Amino acid sequence: MYIKLENEVMCIFACRRFHHTTPDNKTHSGEKYTDPFKLGWRDLKGLYEDIRKELLITTSELKEMSEYYFDGKGKAFRPIIVALMARACNIHHNNSRHVQASQRTIALIAEMIHTASLVHDDVIDDASSRRGKHTVNKIWGEKKAVLAGDLILSAASIALARIGNTTVISILTQVIEDLVRGEFLQLGSKENENERFAHYLEKTFKKTASLIANSCKAVSVLGCPDPVVHEIAYQYGKNIGIAFQLIDDVLDFTSCSDQMGKPTSADLKLGLATGPVLFACQQFPEMNAMIMRRFSLPGDVDRARQYVLQSDGVQQTTYLAQQYCHEAIREISKLRPSPERDALIQLSEIVLTRDK
Amino acid sequence: MNLRQLLFRLPLYLGASGSPRRLWWSPSFDTIFSVGSWRGQSSKSPAHWNQVVSEAEKIVGYPTSFMSLRCLLSDELSNIAMQVRKLVGTQHPLLTTARGLVYDSQNSLQLRGLVVLLISKAAGPSSGNASCQNYDMVSGIYSCQRSLAEITELIHTALLVHRGIVNLNELQSSDGPLKDMQFGNKIAILSGDFLLANACNGLALLQNTKVVELLASALMDLVQGVYHENSTSAKENYITDDIGISTWKEQTFLSHGALLAKSCQAAMELAKHDAEVQNMAFQYGKHMAMSHKINSDLQPFTKEKTGDSMTFNLNSAPVVLHQEFLGRDLWIKQIREAQEKGRLDYGKLRERIKAGKGVTSAIDLCRYHGNKALEALESFPPSEARSALENIVFAVTRFS
Repeated sequence: MYIKLENEVMCIFACRRFHHTTPDNKTHSGEKYTDPFKLGWRDLKGLYEDIRKELLITTSELKEMSEYYFDGKGKAFRPIIVALMARACNIHHNNSRHVQASQRTIALIAEMIHTASLVHDDVIDDASSRRGKHTVNKIWGEKKAVLAGDLILSAASIALARIGNTTVISILTQVIEDLVRGEFLQLGSKENENERFAHYLEKTFKKTASLIANSCKAVSVLGCPDPVVHEIAYQYGKNIGIAFQLIDDVLDFTSCSDQMGKPTSADLKLGLATGPVLFACQQFPEMNAMIMRRFSLPGDVDRARQYVLQSDGVQQTTYLAQQYCHEAIREISKLRPSPERDALIQLSEIVLTRDK
Repeated sequence: MNLRQLLFRLPLYLGASGSPRRLWWSPSFDTIFSVGSWRGQSSKSPAHWNQVVSEAEKIVGYPTSFMSLRCLLSDELSNIAMQVRKLVGTQHPLLTTARGLVYDSQNSLQLRGLVVLLISKAAGPSSGNASCQNYDMVSGIYSCQRSLAEITELIHTALLVHRGIVNLNELQSSDGPLKDMQFGNKIAILSGDFLLANACNGLALLQNTKVVELLASALMDLVQGVYHENSTSAKENYITDDIGISTWKEQTFLSHGALLAKSCQAAMELAKHDAEVQNMAFQYGKHMAMSHKINSDLQPFTKEKTGDSMTFNLNSAPVVLHQEFLGRDLWIKQIREAQEKGRLDYGKLRERIKAGKGVTSAIDLCRYHGNKALEALESFPPSEARSALENIVFAVTRFS
């Protein structure tokens, strides 16, 4: 799967075509418009309260820090995908409209693992704000922030163990490893241009898509014995995860240009060369030097941004994200029709058109 | 370069002099090297302790010294060793931690793994349970138990590394450039996370959800314990929090006892021993760890030649007990009296503490836990492994 898309990427390098999508009110499924977030939330009521129960410890400040992001203000994108996938798989298997408690727990665990990694990432990146508030490391310091991340991870692991399914444990522990390896990939850099793109996609998979792919797989394992379904769930999660991150990387360039005042370019400032930059470098080889030195010289960030906006890097990356979304839709369409399956299809379209 | 060669070169990479601890399986060493003085403390590690550990390692079949380092050093993708090397010359605590992992120290850092292996051997195979027949057993220990021992060390090392994170807004100019500390923090977080990820994967491979739950809850305990260590450490004026010995015991269980206790229990679960055996293993682990910690706390007060500049932890057992006997107000007075121009004269304070009841009381507490550990061992059949576990208790409870 990965290799197939890599070939597509090579094609992009070779012939640089791109393709418009016209906005459409009709989904691929042709069904009436419903909000996939609302549909998914039906199974997730009390999500954050339940997560906080897993973090029930006596040490009050540590508890406060660990609960900090579970305030109900996040989008809960991952739990929603998980909840929808659970239903889609259950219906596919035996038309059951029942969601198992263990499947719901996967939604909690996914959100907890994600949050734990965010807390650590914020310390690594020395970030000051997230989701409109100060980061844990800025309020309580780096030492305690790292411990809070460890606590959330341990709570997630306990919840995972209590499900009592060794296959599911194996699937989700893979995510924990992928998250760390993804961060390490980000530390290093590649000389060769072609290697860079593969490196970028691998990092994107490990840091973002692995969690979604494996959570989807885990709920499908709990709901259905058919390995074909497990693979469908995994592929959907993987493809939508990569698309999600690619669009995120695009927004780091485009969301600023719509606003007055200083652009964010958060990735460039961290020395990261994402999709738009890598594509732009094709047109402007002078960017190579900046990429190699991770935009560390004064003026690099702004110059790189200018190059990207002058190039078709944004369009190329968006096109690539579309390809991944199409793949996600193709996979999930193999499941028996259901409102949840259609919601998952819609979600992949929403991923493409969101503007943060 | 094979792993052993890399391990021997690591101290040089880390910028330290001297040799790592003696490895009994290495034929080129004849003598035991004592701990170098790079830590600024003169410490005569008793040959007796090294002997106890050496004998124990022979019983379980191999040295446990570098269990948690294997994954770090052999993983090319993470290349952590190379990253840590960049920290040589900085003041980041990770460098100290890394050196400590390679060198022997008073608190033999891979002791947990060794104890888990010993107790696995001491308990032997579970009587009449057919499901264990699939596991292979080497030197009386199942491979899943060996794996568990390694996982225990991974978790311990991960938190050891995470303990070394530095608060950036507390840095002084003497700590060096900010970017060194930021980089050090980054590597420390990632290394710790990498170790935890390896631990989680190892747990998943054991295919036993009860064991996963036990170790995950041990991790949660450990995190809370480390948190308490950070919070109750002395503030600028050296006045520590007012915690009594029972709170101290609870926190110390979290930071030092829980991991070993639950690991020992998990080792029994893997061999399908019953709840009673699991509980005895838990009790041994818990009490042995407590007495080990108290022993370590007592070193500054019981060793004969201690330099006056040698500091000690104001939240250690003898000090907490001393405070309890003295009462809070008198204790604060003693701290103030031992200060000169804002700096604490540890030598002076040590004398005040030794003059009180804290030290003897701590020795008693150490022996109390030691005895509880020995009691727990009585339910295991006599064996070499059981004797080794007893010897470990004797070694940590003796104060000459």
